[in-house]
Amino acid sequence: MSVPATDRPTSTQHTEHSVESLSSWLADRIALYLQRSPSEIAPSVPLAEYGLDSVAALSLCGDIEEDFDLVLEPTVAWDYPTIDALAGHLVEELRDVQSEAR
Amino acid sequence: MLSDPAIQGLPGKVVPTGPAPTPGLLADMAQEEAAQRRVADLEKRFGDPEDPANPLSAAHILAADEAGELSPAGEQLLDDLVFNAEFVPTALGGRLDRLDTLVRMMRQVFRRDVALGLGYGITSFMAAANVWTAGSDQQRRRLADLLLDGQKISVAYHELPHGNDFVRNEFRADPVPGGYRLQGRKEVINNAASAAAFSLFSRTSENPGSRSHSVLLVERDQLDLERFSVLPRYHAVGVRGCRLSGLDFADCPVPESTRVGAVGQGVELALRSFQITRSAIPGMAIGALDTSLRTVVRFAVGRQLYRRTVMEIPHASATLSGAFLDLLICDSLALVGTRAVHLLPDETSVYAAAVKYLVPKMLTDTMYDLSIVLGARFYVREGEFGLFQKHVRDLPVLSLGHAGSAACQATIIPQLSRLARRAWFTGDEAPQALFRPREALSGIPFDKLALASGRDSLSASLVAAVDDLPSGSPEELAVQALVMRMLDQLRQLQEDSLSLSPLDRTALASPSSFALADRYAVFLAAAAVLGVWRAARDGGDSFLADPAWAAAALHRLARRLGQRPADLPPACEGRVHEEVLRRFHERRSYDLYDTPLAG
Repeated sequence: MSVPATDRPTSTQHTEHSVESLSSWLADRIALYLQRSPSEIAPSVPLAEYGLDSVAALSLCGDIEEDFDLVLEPTVAWDYPTIDALAGHLVEELRDVQSEAR
Repeated sequence: MLSDPAIQGLPGKVVPTGPAPTPGLLADMAQEEAAQRRVADLEKRFGDPEDPANPLSAAHILAADEAGELSPAGEQLLDDLVFNAEFVPTALGGRLDRLDTLVRMMRQVFRRDVALGLGYGITSFMAAANVWTAGSDQQRRRLADLLLDGQKISVAYHELPHGNDFVRNEFRADPVPGGYRLQGRKEVINNAASAAAFSLFSRTSENPGSRSHSVLLVERDQLDLERFSVLPRYHAVGVRGCRLSGLDFADCPVPESTRVGAVGQGVELALRSFQITRSAIPGMAIGALDTSLRTVVRFAVGRQLYRRTVMEIPHASATLSGAFLDLLICDSLALVGTRAVHLLPDETSVYAAAVKYLVPKMLTDTMYDLSIVLGARFYVREGEFGLFQKHVRDLPVLSLGHAGSAACQATIIPQLSRLARRAWFTGDEAPQALFRPREALSGIPFDKLALASGRDSLSASLVAAVDDLPSGSPEELAVQALVMRMLDQLRQLQEDSLSLSPLDRTALASPSSFALADRYAVFLAAAAVLGVWRAARDGGDSFLADPAWAAAALHRLARRLGQRPADLPPACEGRVHEEVLRRFHERRSYDLYDTPLAG
């Protein structure tokens, strides 16, 4: 008997995060900071071009830490300035944390 | 002059470079004695401010201000002492080993003249902090040599159209093979016309965001004079002796070796070195309030109104006691801010912003309170009260510059929810050394300052103190009750911080976020006051060990938070008033150090 591919654990702690799921989480959150709709934020455009200031970038870092239980460099949103770059970096960070936990 | 013990550690002298002594009683005494000796020497050289024959008297300083110049005798005095050595780490041949000692020295200058403190030294120190934080060995050596040679260094961040939003700065250093070409203007820059070098905050990439700027340390002698000019001088309302102008570069080449730190590190470097300057500069300015308080006390004990002295009028006497308490509150927070750089470098980002936000604001407010006691004399530009009026004009400059009040609140705002979740009511308390003005410290850990922290040991010290407060005397009971109120305040801060919306955690946050940052800064000041009092209780200074001042200071802070605490025991007011008079008659400073003054 094979396990259906859709049968994933539901708790956030054990969810396998993908670049897609993280991109969508980030777009939703950044939209709140910018007071825009998530669909207006292109994943490959630097967030600073939408007016995400350095203060908001620090706050965003705190949000990510809270929701994903990660500890990040406060400059993470400066070094990974687009949704694509940030999602890619977070997937790696989460993978590292999970492999350490095993 | 060079044999003077107060100016050891100049080039050519052997500087011991062994490991720092283990902090202990002997080290405490040695560092403290050396600091006291240096402060006393400087104070002696400044001499009696009331003596008309003294070229550094208040009258001469006022005359220089009227003429739009720094006091020539003041500059000469600081040159003679090679005062720039205060800004150079001991490892590089200077005298900078402790930030709180630097504040103590500079406070003697600010006591006389804010413009001299700012114009002679502070902007050089701000420029240097970048290089001590991220410069190469060669850059550090070169800058140390320039400073020890008595040269000024300008710090050039500012561009008028962008204010403190320096991420949007447009001054460019365009990368070219082997270096950069500088293009654009820096405005309202102190000593731009005379400085030997400039610390230039420059855009090195067209991309938006916080990785597009770098800091360059450029020497005037490296520049092509055809492609570089100094802009006309600005005339400001205060610090009129400061030579504020600007720089204009037209495609001016500089070598790659001018860059301080990595490409794109400019914003990060600025935020780290600001932690040093924001912690230190407000504490220096306390000297101006100290002098002003003394001036008003002299007036109050000397002048007769309604057949009694002004000091016998309850409102006037209460205002003077209140000003003394504000000064002690400011100094407690400034002390913690500077010592945190040494002891809690990863937590300093928030404390430095709180110091730079609250201390200049309180100093300005308190000067206004004092001016009411002086009455019409406050409006006079010359004579005995002229220096008071000058301090009123000069002090607001501290809230401007590279970190305006709002910019400091904006540093605190994004960290509030993180601290609320991770730090408050859970973390370890700060070491007692944070609160001891005379305890030894090892050097400044420039490389350990962090941009944000998930800890707050200062707040944790107040939380931890709650179970351990004495409750014998009425004054001690008053402290206890006020600390409980502060604990409630932290609970409220935690609740409010956790419910901030995302928009309220950006630079465009609503006024309520800024108010939250204000309340947190006031809370930190209360934690600093409590810490200083508790640490003083095991000996040394009998006034600081007395719960009377702590209760009265916490009472003022509670009222600043909009609380309505119970009245203080009457003895508190009496004790504080008595100390105001003692320090006036014995000519001692009104800060935590109770320093003997000249005259």
